[in-house]
Amino acid sequence: MLWQIVIGGIAVGSAYALIALAMVIIYKTSEVLNFAQGDMACLSTYVTFMLLHGYGFPFWVSLPLTLLFAFVLGACCEFLFLRRAKDPTVLGLIIMTLSLEMILFGLLSWKWGSDQRELPFPITSYDTFTIGSFYVSRLEVLTFVVALVMMALLFLFFRYTKTGIAIKATQLNRDSARLMGIRTNRILMGTWGLSSVVGAVAALLIAPASTLDPYMMWDPLLKGFSSAVLGGMTSLPGAAAGGYIVGIVENLFGTYVSIEFKSAVAFAIIVLILCIKPSGLLARHYVKKV
Amino acid sequence: MKKMLLWTIVMALVIAVCAAGAVTAADAPGVSDTEIRIGQWAALTGPAAAWGAVARGAEAYFKMINDEGGIHGRMIKHLVFDDQYNPARTVAGIKELVEGPGVFAFVAGDCTACALAARDYLVEKKIIWMALGNAWSIKPDRHFFFIYPNYLDEAAILVKYAVETMGKKKIAFFYQNDDYGKGGLKGAQQQLEKYKLKLAAEVPVEPQDRDLKSHTMAIKNADPDVVILWVNPTSAVIMRKTAAAMKFAPLWMAPSTLADPALMNQITGGLWEGTIFSCLAELPDADIPLMKKYRAAFEKYVPKGERWGIMYMAGFGFAEPLVEALKKVGRDVTTDKVIAELDKMTDFKGIFGHITFRPEDRQGQKEVFIAEALKDGKSKRLSDWIKADR
Amino acid sequence: MDMKRSHYEDIRLFSSRVVFAWFLVFAGVLVSYPFAASWLGKNYYIYMANYMAINVIVAVGLNLLVGYAGQISLGHAGFFGIGAYGTVLLMTKLQVPFVLALPLAGLAAAGFGFLLGLPALRLEGPYLAVATLGFGLTVTQIIGRWDLFGGRQGLHAPPLALGPVTLAGDFNLYWLIVPTAVVMTMAARNITKTKVGRAFVAIRDSDVAAHTMGVNLTYYKTLAFAVSAFYTGVAGGLYAFALGFIEPQTFNLMLSILFLSMVVVGGLGSIFGSVVGAMLLSLLNLKLASVHTLPFLGPVLLQLSESWFTVSGLPNFQYIVYGLIMFLIIVFEPLGIFGFWIRTKIYWKSYPF
Repeated sequence: MLWQIVIGGIAVGSAYALIALAMVIIYKTSEVLNFAQGDMACLSTYVTFMLLHGYGFPFWVSLPLTLLFAFVLGACCEFLFLRRAKDPTVLGLIIMTLSLEMILFGLLSWKWGSDQRELPFPITSYDTFTIGSFYVSRLEVLTFVVALVMMALLFLFFRYTKTGIAIKATQLNRDSARLMGIRTNRILMGTWGLSSVVGAVAALLIAPASTLDPYMMWDPLLKGFSSAVLGGMTSLPGAAAGGYIVGIVENLFGTYVSIEFKSAVAFAIIVLILCIKPSGLLARHYVKKV
Repeated sequence: MKKMLLWTIVMALVIAVCAAGAVTAADAPGVSDTEIRIGQWAALTGPAAAWGAVARGAEAYFKMINDEGGIHGRMIKHLVFDDQYNPARTVAGIKELVEGPGVFAFVAGDCTACALAARDYLVEKKIIWMALGNAWSIKPDRHFFFIYPNYLDEAAILVKYAVETMGKKKIAFFYQNDDYGKGGLKGAQQQLEKYKLKLAAEVPVEPQDRDLKSHTMAIKNADPDVVILWVNPTSAVIMRKTAAAMKFAPLWMAPSTLADPALMNQITGGLWEGTIFSCLAELPDADIPLMKKYRAAFEKYVPKGERWGIMYMAGFGFAEPLVEALKKVGRDVTTDKVIAELDKMTDFKGIFGHITFRPEDRQGQKEVFIAEALKDGKSKRLSDWIKADR
Repeated sequence: MDMKRSHYEDIRLFSSRVVFAWFLVFAGVLVSYPFAASWLGKNYYIYMANYMAINVIVAVGLNLLVGYAGQISLGHAGFFGIGAYGTVLLMTKLQVPFVLALPLAGLAAAGFGFLLGLPALRLEGPYLAVATLGFGLTVTQIIGRWDLFGGRQGLHAPPLALGPVTLAGDFNLYWLIVPTAVVMTMAARNITKTKVGRAFVAIRDSDVAAHTMGVNLTYYKTLAFAVSAFYTGVAGGLYAFALGFIEPQTFNLMLSILFLSMVVVGGLGSIFGSVVGAMLLSLLNLKLASVHTLPFLGPVLLQLSESWFTVSGLPNFQYIVYGLIMFLIIVFEPLGIFGFWIRTKIYWKSYPF
């Protein structure tokens, strides 16, 4: 029973971890809390739906097309919105992503209405096998594996590729990075695109277990948020760990303490952690850039 | 500072002028020589937007009535506004409609909280309301007519069917943590007390939750024969998928808000098959003349992208009794006459069950029937209309 | 221009007789407005004014925190809820008279504001945004489940007795809500001109520098939260009576975002701006309830929906409008409507040049 719950927690946690990763990628380079992350991902999922259902493309064609769309969408959001703000404050940037969130949400629910839909996904969430006495669904395994692969790829990307190092440089000091010949504007667009892709993957894995509707990402987004904060907004491994912790704690709390307050736990965790360790569990202490 | 105050004053004046400009002479409350104005509030956007289909359904119904020549020479004007399930907006919208163009009656109007906030104003202005909410949570009034079967009754009927007809004893109840869910829970508990039984598990859920593993575990651990899903479609889908992943397969039952086998079959990816559900209206694909007529109207008036589902159809159903009463009243329409006519309504049968109103009992419909979901979104009727004997 | 030559000139409530005269005119409009509206039989406009006045109180209070003290809050719907539930519960469960219950509920909200201010001592920018976000969501979740708070069924506001008089209906409530809003707005304006207000501004501009100058950061940061929460709590209490009914889902994240956008649209660090911003956004919030019936725009949108989008999703257009307003304000006028006003003023003062 306990382990069944932990396994369930890890499965949900993988999805939260992916969203948290997406947020951290953006936060690392542009210091923006991206409230639009959920709706960007949701829009990409609707595009998959449209490709599969409307145009009848096979899944293995739709998936790369969707990821391409997600990348372009992220890059466009940066180019059309974030870059327009001149000399923005932290609050200004938050308002900016909130406005982006509202516009995207408005567009996608105007386009597709608010009906629930089923995303035709090759693996159903109830296709299960047993390990010992535990049930594990293939979708959960897939989510877990994808999350791990994503993390590994991101780690390698940031550590060993030129672009990855350029991203890090941009994060550390944008002006010096530009002086060193890094095209920081392109880097910013690229990170937004990358983040949007990671978010889209998370949404594609969340949708088959529930329904596809415009509100699909609200709850996971907030949970992903708390995961990212829990791990420290600037740490990729921290965000991933945060996702798993939130997923497991939430499920344990729901089972053993109170099912009614289950979804409040994640938010209580944020407030508590921030009081005790303001920069999150795994990040260096937040130092203001003067 | 000086100019700031000045500017404030200008703004105030502008607003005052706009306010005054928007005012037009109000005529008789919602009825003129050529039209009858009927209002409706609906959550067209926001997390409860699935209910918005009720408003669009009512709109199509009124279009159909108008194309048939209206009611004794008067056309129906349907005024809908979006309240986002937010009581502050509901109250504002209602006041605007009633004091602006004037409204004769309100039909449907979802969201118990919104209705509770709006109630006193409707009573004060003496406006007929064909309520979607139910008398369990909203204090009745002379002007209110509750069509929808009481949640308590409906849950009691489901439990009765499970225990008496299907011989099940262990029943778990999975409910939405609000007025709607708690009403159902209470009805189920009361009915079970009659058989000296108790619910095997009572598990609440928040409508926005997307991870229901611990909820499913809680129900599974009680090992029930029957699980009643008193939730919205999204929660029902997630619960069914999670349960299927845990190889947990009890008999599932659902209330009339989920009585849309085509939709449920599609969004559960076929898991809905075998679900026993109660219906307050004929099934959307029922083969009766009235339903055929409505489906034809749907084809004719409704833009693409709309789906002929239970919510949409309910919009037709909620408006039927009022139109019936207006037709009977004749040319001389007053609020009192329409109320008197509605109070005489006995076993009126549209696409809903039989509706009877009496001055002392405004719970119009008291019956539902039971059906079973089959493969590919088809369904089979299992019982005749059943009344609750709570 | 508006050059201030002495401290006393700066702290005066009315800078000249002309301003005072205009203020009297404004007061006259406020006094005659409900009479005019009820003479026309339009209670709706009085209700709208009440709703706006409540939002004005929130926006002014939030601006003290965001615009003056430079902190961020995405959890003000929580304080709003605490104020609303606090007032109603004090009156129904403890039989406290309204005159006491409203400030007490405000103080309760201020207490929570103080608590939320504590982490704010260590948190900055985005972290603070997330902490307040978490606070707001937790409040909503808790009041939604606790039976004491009426759960999801909500609570009815008790009859509002002020001494021997019972206030009911929009017209009577107007005389409670609008004067409260005016008094609290003026109080906020005075706060900004005192030592406290200047300390807030010093913290906003640089908390390290302010600390060096001897501003007690702990005291003033928590005070900013407490004062702001008090304003919001009082507004919440009034809201409960303006609506007659409260339920937890009203106090959601969207409401917090709406409050914040009122402040941003109106203009950060400007009391006048938040008054206008609150009025404008409340008006939009009520008026965008039926997009398809708007003149000119409505038919175009319907046409567009039929060919490109879905008609059933059209009402969501209002979110696009909000989003665009916020976006345009941040890009073109970071100081909001207030900034626009200042520029217009300067333009006309130096007109030919």
